[in-house]
This record gives sequence, C-alpha cells and structure tokens, in this order.
Amino acid sequence: MDIKAYIESGVVESYVLGLASPEEVAELEALSVQHSEVRAAVDAFAESIQQQAMGTNIAPPPEIKQQLMERLAGDFKEGAIAAAPAAPKLSALPGGSANGKVVRMVSFKIWRNVAAAAVVLLVVSATLNVYYYKNYTQTTNKYQALLAERNTLQAANDDYHQTLNVIHDSTIQMVRMQGVPGKQNNMATVYWDAKTKAVYVYANNLQQIPEGKQYQLWALVDGKPVDAGVITDCRGVCKMKNIARAQAFAITLEKQGGSATPTLTAMYVLGKV
Amino acid sequence: MPENAVKYTEAELVAFLKQRQQSAFGYLYDNYSGSLYSVILSIISDRELANDVLQEVFVKIWRQIETYDATKGRLFTWMMNITRNASIDTLRSKGYQNNQQNRELTDTVYESVGSVSTNTDKIGLRKLVYTLKPDYKVLVELAYFQGYTQDEISKLLDIPLGTVKTRLRAALIQLREIVKP
Repeated sequence: MDIKAYIESGVVESYVLGLASPEEVAELEALSVQHSEVRAAVDAFAESIQQQAMGTNIAPPPEIKQQLMERLAGDFKEGAIAAAPAAPKLSALPGGSANGKVVRMVSFKIWRNVAAAAVVLLVVSATLNVYYYKNYTQTTNKYQALLAERNTLQAANDDYHQTLNVIHDSTIQMVRMQGVPGKQNNMATVYWDAKTKAVYVYANNLQQIPEGKQYQLWALVDGKPVDAGVITDCRGVCKMKNIARAQAFAITLEKQGGSATPTLTAMYVLGKV
Repeated sequence: MPENAVKYTEAELVAFLKQRQQSAFGYLYDNYSGSLYSVILSIISDRELANDVLQEVFVKIWRQIETYDATKGRLFTWMMNITRNASIDTLRSKGYQNNQQNRELTDTVYESVGSVSTNTDKIGLRKLVYTLKPDYKVLVELAYFQGYTQDEISKLLDIPLGTVKTRLRAALIQLREIVKP
C-alpha cells in the first residue's frame, strides 16, 4: 500500500472530522498503528482544527457552567480536588494513578467510619426507643389510675356538696332519729322540706347491713306507718319519697327491696318531728 | 477562562476526569466551552437552543469520558465530534425542524431586502468552508454541517456516489490547507 498516497487521499481529514465510514475508520486505525506517518498526519490535522476552533472562541453565557455544576453535583468525587493541582505529571496513564487509589482508599475509610458510626447510632437510638416506650406505657397507666381516682373523689365531693345544700336550705326541717333501746349507737337524720315535701335521709351511723337486707324509712302519720322508700347505697343524703305530713320517722331493717309494712322488731332508729 | 493558574496536560486532564474530579471538569469547561460553543453556533443559529446543546455536550463528555481512547486521537477531536453530532441531532429533531421553517421564512423576507445571511456562516470552520469553491462548499456543508450521508448527498444533488466521495475528499484536502497555521 502506498502510505503517502493514502495520507493524501483525504481519508485522514474525513476521519478527524467524523465523516469517515466505519470501514474507513477501522482501516485508518489499523494503519496508524503500523505506520507512524498516518498517526502523525491525523495528529497534525487534528491540531490545526483544534487551533482553528480555539481561535474562534465564543464565550457561552456564564449561567450554563453554573447549571452544569449543579446538574452534575452528585457525580463529583469531592475530596479529590485538593489532590489535583499538586499531582505529579502523569505521563504513563491511563488506568488510574496511585494518587487516585489513595484518594479512593481515603474516601473508603471515611465512608467505613461513617457507616460504623451510623450503625452505633442506630443501635443506641433503638435501645432508647424501647426504654422510652416502656416509660411512656408506665406513665400512661399511672395517669389513667389517677384519673379514675380523681373521678371517684369528684363524685363523692358532689354528693357531699348536695348534702350541704340540703342541710342549709331554710325551709328544711331536721328530724334526728336516735337508736331505739338495744340499738342506741345507731343514728340517722331526716331532712324534710316543708315546701316541696321532699324527704332526705342521712345515715349518721347505722349498723352494717346483713346480706339480702335493706334499711327502709317510714313516716308515722296519725299512728300508721307510711312507706318512705328504701335506703340505697348512696353517699351523703339519700332522696326518699315525698311525705305530705308526718308526726315521726323511723328506720327498720327489711328484706331486699323493702316491705309493705314495717317489721317493728327490726326498728333501729326513731325520731319525732 | 481558567481562574486558577493550574495547567493540565491532556493526559492529566483525562485521568482526573476519569477520577470524577470536579476541579478537572471545571478546568475542562473553562478551557473548551468557548471553542465547542463556536462549533455549536456554526451549526445552530438559535442561541437558546445552542445553550441547551452546549450543556448536553458537556454532560455527554462527562458521562462518556471512560470511552475516550487517547490512542485513537486527541481529546479535542473526540469532544468536537460529540459536539457536532449533538448539534446535528438537535438540528434534525422534529421540534427544531418546525422552528427552522419559521426561521427560513423570516430569512427569506430579510434576504429579499438584501441584508441578512444566517450568522452560522460566519462562525468557525463554517466560515472557512464558505471560502471553498462552490462544488466543494456544498458537499462539506451538507456532509459536515447538516449531517447528510454521502449516499443521501448523491441522491439529493443527483451526482454519482463515487463523485461525491472523491469530491468531498478533495474538498477536505483543500480545507486542510486553509486551516493549516
């Protein structure tokens, strides 16, 4: 092959300008390995084109560089920058320099440490989570218990408040019922509203009620007992049935739910109006 | 132009780019964006579009630097071919074609008044190509700046393929003499 004629055929220029066909490219690359003149011709024309292009510099708008840097920010290997200007001449490239390896080792170590630290933090955080969750559960339970207790106390307080209101009402007549003989230590009080005829009873001190029994209040009207209701498990004063008129009040122990007539043998307290 | 006084050899620059160094990319941009921009502007007259192409070109260079083989030629040659291909691809994309039709209409109007030719003719290599004799000029224009294959040119100009081939090569030889420093 006449290399000189080949070089002068224009194929070198086609190659450099990217106008050569794949076959032409393959042939030229093979020939440039064998013949340094081919490679020299390629380099010479490439150099001319580069010089020509460099000479017709047109500065692009500055924001393009900024946009590019932002766009590629994730691709850059930081930390390598400082090493770049100080790097020795790297004539026997390519394939990555020792410098590159050092940079990679350093960044590997940094990342390994960061990863280790992250794992430790995760474990600590997880442990604290368990601890704080337990604390939280316990505190919640205690809080619920306190809330329930508070509600109970509030209810009791409301009852006593009502009792006080009844006692202090000016139209209220108080009837103290003393323990009958044999039951002297029992006592109860009836609060009777003269206007509304409402009857309230307060058990100052009544014996513990046996199973299946209940105290019942009676009004004695003209010598006859009138049912005024059974005393339920109420705190403070218990509202009973209204009584229009009465000369005395008494409490007997009756079966659950009360009786139609009082069991006089089981009378505990009695008080005259 | 570069803000720091550091100068890389081409081999160093390529090595640092392959290591993904930001400073190397900055250096590449500072030193070559102007000339590659002029390559784009010799093909695409729309500045906005040219700006987009320039950005794409540098992204391509960055992403494809691993494929650059120094034994096959200079870095600039490689980058210039990426630039030309990207510009022609854009030129031939559908969106640009529509744009171009409008533009040509305007140009015709202006040309009738006798004032304007597209500025691409006055930039870089294209300006030099326009000094070639008309037979040569049209071939380089179609092949290099508009990206037609020799087969397409043969059909377009109704010239035998062999003639296109020899004439284009002769044109390039002449161009070589013009660009020689």
